[in-house]
Amino acid sequence: VARTSLTSPPWPEVKLPDPVEEAKYHTEVVQKVNKMIATGQYGRLFAVVHFASKQWKITSEDLIMMDNVLEAECGDRIRMEKVLLVGADDFTLIGRPLLGKDLVRVEATVIEKTESWPKINMRFRRRHNYQRKKIILNPQTVLRINTIEIFPCLS
Amino acid sequence: QHFRGRKNRCYKLAVRSVRRAFVKSTKARREKKRNLRALWITRIEAASLEHGLKYPAFISNLLKSQVELNRKVIADLAIYEPKTFKSLAALAQRRRQEGFLAALGDGKEPEGIFSRIVHHY
Repeated sequence: VARTSLTSPPWPEVKLPDPVEEAKYHTEVVQKVNKMIATGQYGRLFAVVHFASKQWKITSEDLIMMDNVLEAECGDRIRMEKVLLVGADDFTLIGRPLLGKDLVRVEATVIEKTESWPKINMRFRRRHNYQRKKIILNPQTVLRINTIEIFPCLS
Repeated sequence: QHFRGRKNRCYKLAVRSVRRAFVKSTKARREKKRNLRALWITRIEAASLEHGLKYPAFISNLLKSQVELNRKVIADLAIYEPKTFKSLAALAQRRRQEGFLAALGDGKEPEGIFSRIVHHY
């Protein structure tokens, strides 16, 4: 093929590492991480959870407030599925897109079920004698995340 | 704040300014979502440039490798969890290179076609 300005692409040519060696390296890393989880050499865990159509970055003993009603009474323990990411100081487990339920366990309790502060919704059009005022109270729930646990079942 | 001048003392002026304040707060509640998303995007762009990637490349490669994290969470990770953000950037970079290789293909010509260079003198 003749060499023109379009034969080679404009981006710099990059060679990917050997797939066999890569697979070996991956298994090594996975075993190391498994050992670390099994022996418990992690400090504080943080997780990214998809809950109430929002994504939250949570750790243990922290509060979360959502703008909706949950069908659970105050003091109920809730287990959150749909975990996207779990991490500690030395390693992180990224889910594609979710992590397995036998890997992570996030526990939370419902603390409060209140209403929000009265928000005022006002519409006004000048010179046309048009104004509407509406007070909106959103129901809110407060959860406290008790624990985030991981189990060494990687492969 | 709390209404400057005679707007905090005289009823007629106060009524007008309070009405305007309510209307502005309702409109601002809708703008807040847009502003926050723009803020997250600028933060993610700055953090990914530190790792040698541009924002569109970073986000598109993350989505192609089936990691569905939203911008708020990625911005928080970039602030409080730099190592995790570095690993995400490396993942996006690797996916980008694999995409380039897949786009190149074999490097051979299709059948029945020949090419030659024509010189003009």
